[in-house]
Amino acid sequence: MNEVLQYFFMSWVDPKLVFLAAAGTFAGIYIGAIPGLSVTMAVSILISFTFKWHVNDALVLIAGIYLGGVYGGSRSAILLNIPGAPAAIATALDGYPLAKRGEAGAAIGLTTVMSVIGGFVGILALAAFAPLVSSFALHFGPRDYLMLAIWGILLVGSLSGGSLAKGIFAGALGVLIASVGLDPLTAEQRFTFGSVQLTAGISYIAAMIGFFGVAEILAQMHELHLKAVKQDVSKIVPSWAMVRKHLPLSLRTSAIGVGVGALPGAGGDIAALMAYDHARRTVKNPSRPFGQGAYEGLVAPESANNAAVGGAYVPMMTLGIPGDAVTAVIIGALYIHGLKPGPMLMIETPHLFWFTVGSLVLANLFLLVFGLTGIRLFAKVVDTPKPILLPAILVLSAVGAYAINNSIVDVYWMLGFGVFGYFLKIYGYPVAPVILGMILGPLMDRSYRQAMISAQESPLIFASEFFTSPLSAVILAALSFTIVSQTRWWKRRRGQTV
Amino acid sequence: MPPVRTRLPGETVFAVLMLLLSAFLLWAAVDISGLKSYTSAGAYPMAAAATMLVCSLIVVAQTARAQAQPLEPGESAWRAFVRRIAPPVIVSTSLAIAAYMLTLEWLGFVVASYAFLVVTMRLLGSARWGLNLLSSALVLGAIYLVFQTVFSVVLPAGRLWQGVFS
Repeated sequence: MNEVLQYFFMSWVDPKLVFLAAAGTFAGIYIGAIPGLSVTMAVSILISFTFKWHVNDALVLIAGIYLGGVYGGSRSAILLNIPGAPAAIATALDGYPLAKRGEAGAAIGLTTVMSVIGGFVGILALAAFAPLVSSFALHFGPRDYLMLAIWGILLVGSLSGGSLAKGIFAGALGVLIASVGLDPLTAEQRFTFGSVQLTAGISYIAAMIGFFGVAEILAQMHELHLKAVKQDVSKIVPSWAMVRKHLPLSLRTSAIGVGVGALPGAGGDIAALMAYDHARRTVKNPSRPFGQGAYEGLVAPESANNAAVGGAYVPMMTLGIPGDAVTAVIIGALYIHGLKPGPMLMIETPHLFWFTVGSLVLANLFLLVFGLTGIRLFAKVVDTPKPILLPAILVLSAVGAYAINNSIVDVYWMLGFGVFGYFLKIYGYPVAPVILGMILGPLMDRSYRQAMISAQESPLIFASEFFTSPLSAVILAALSFTIVSQTRWWKRRRGQTV
Repeated sequence: MPPVRTRLPGETVFAVLMLLLSAFLLWAAVDISGLKSYTSAGAYPMAAAATMLVCSLIVVAQTARAQAQPLEPGESAWRAFVRRIAPPVIVSTSLAIAAYMLTLEWLGFVVASYAFLVVTMRLLGSARWGLNLLSSALVLGAIYLVFQTVFSVVLPAGRLWQGVFS
């Protein structure tokens, strides 16, 4: 026990490690908040100059950036309606309407506290239930991953509130965009049309910047003559009564976050959307209708996506399987430092596990400090007149797209997807499922083919296995319910307006 | 009674274009490896493209059923499209972004971005040239510092200046 505590507090007593945790968290918040910068990109670039560092220094810095970045995406979602990261897509649904009502400060304050609570729940789960959760996740087969991914896309499509057909269309489009390039199994060319550039595929970060950055900026040009929304960020620290009121929902959705985060491939983005959906279904009297500035619509996704960080560390530390894109990059960092993440990591180097848990707790405390301060500076950027702000975001977006591969081609993709995304938005197609389809596409492709091969390529066996495995049956039931709940018949039954 | 859905100018054309895109992508997916196996490289893209096709058919039907938004007196459908969907400010800014991208590697990040910022600020209605020149310089300085220094992103120096400064 003494040894565990010693390892746990190692990063708390070394001034250098404390500084790195603080710097990482602070930088993470701004990286997550600035459209065009992603945590995955930042951690990837960080690895290029931290591989000579001591492994502890690198782990502390990465933990801070990861936690800060997941939270930071909410700021631009609330203030700009541009989610800084996929995990903040659900946050924008109620966060931006709140900012338009002049309650941006209260929204950011509540988001911060709930993110920290979610973060602590995730870390607690990592410390206490890591072996249990990871052994459960081991039971998932390719069929289950395929359905989980489809369910995730359906959830995003149904969350848009418009036509479900447009939502599914957008998700399928994203899946197709992700399949451009060489087939990972057979190396056959897919949708390359003889172009060498297309064989490398299309960067989802360039697409994300296009769909969420450029398309949003073009859409905002319809409102140039309108006076910029004055973001009131004066009352940031939420009252105890407000926190206490939302605590049960925060804890419930944190549990969802931990569970989803622990599933390989399903990270904060799916966790946040599932939590939002859970809140929408279970909260009887939200502060306002969902989608129009309900505080519950912030509490649920923000608790869940930060809880998913702890959850995502579980399969990474115990199985060597990434929980999401960032943990995939962190696994790369561990390999660079000579470590082999997997079941043996916890047996051979238990100190590393407890050191990571301690570093995450420290970073989460810094998140509370930095999350409740420095918001006025960010809000001032938003107060900048649109004719100055919009071109600046366009340049930032172009540089962000260029930085992925130092390639001008990614910038062209960004503009193409930006203009296309503008028309999609204008005509009521949700763009979030496109991105989710792109991120989950490779996982779905792999899972589908593995499941089909295990069913001896027989569609009948493939279909019957969805009912013979209890786990698959449960996920299938959840997926079917998502579709049925969007039908006119169900809405009429529930007394909702069609 | 449920609210009547209305149709924006150009929405039917867009829905039909999406239908054609889906049909083209399905054809391209079948072209990858044919229909030889359920696990071939093209099987999964085919399923996705077929899903797109079915959904876009539903969207076309939904759009056709929706009521068209009334036009202004004496306004053609094209004029309504330009006014509501593609006003000159959006078209000119999109062209400015395209020009910026095409000249980025040739002029270099600093010159191309500065010109883009100043021109786009003017296009978006900021009439004070002095303010545009100053704010463009400040914005550019901050972006350059973050990406070049902190993140070590190598930004294009510009082919045009290669012979001039080296």
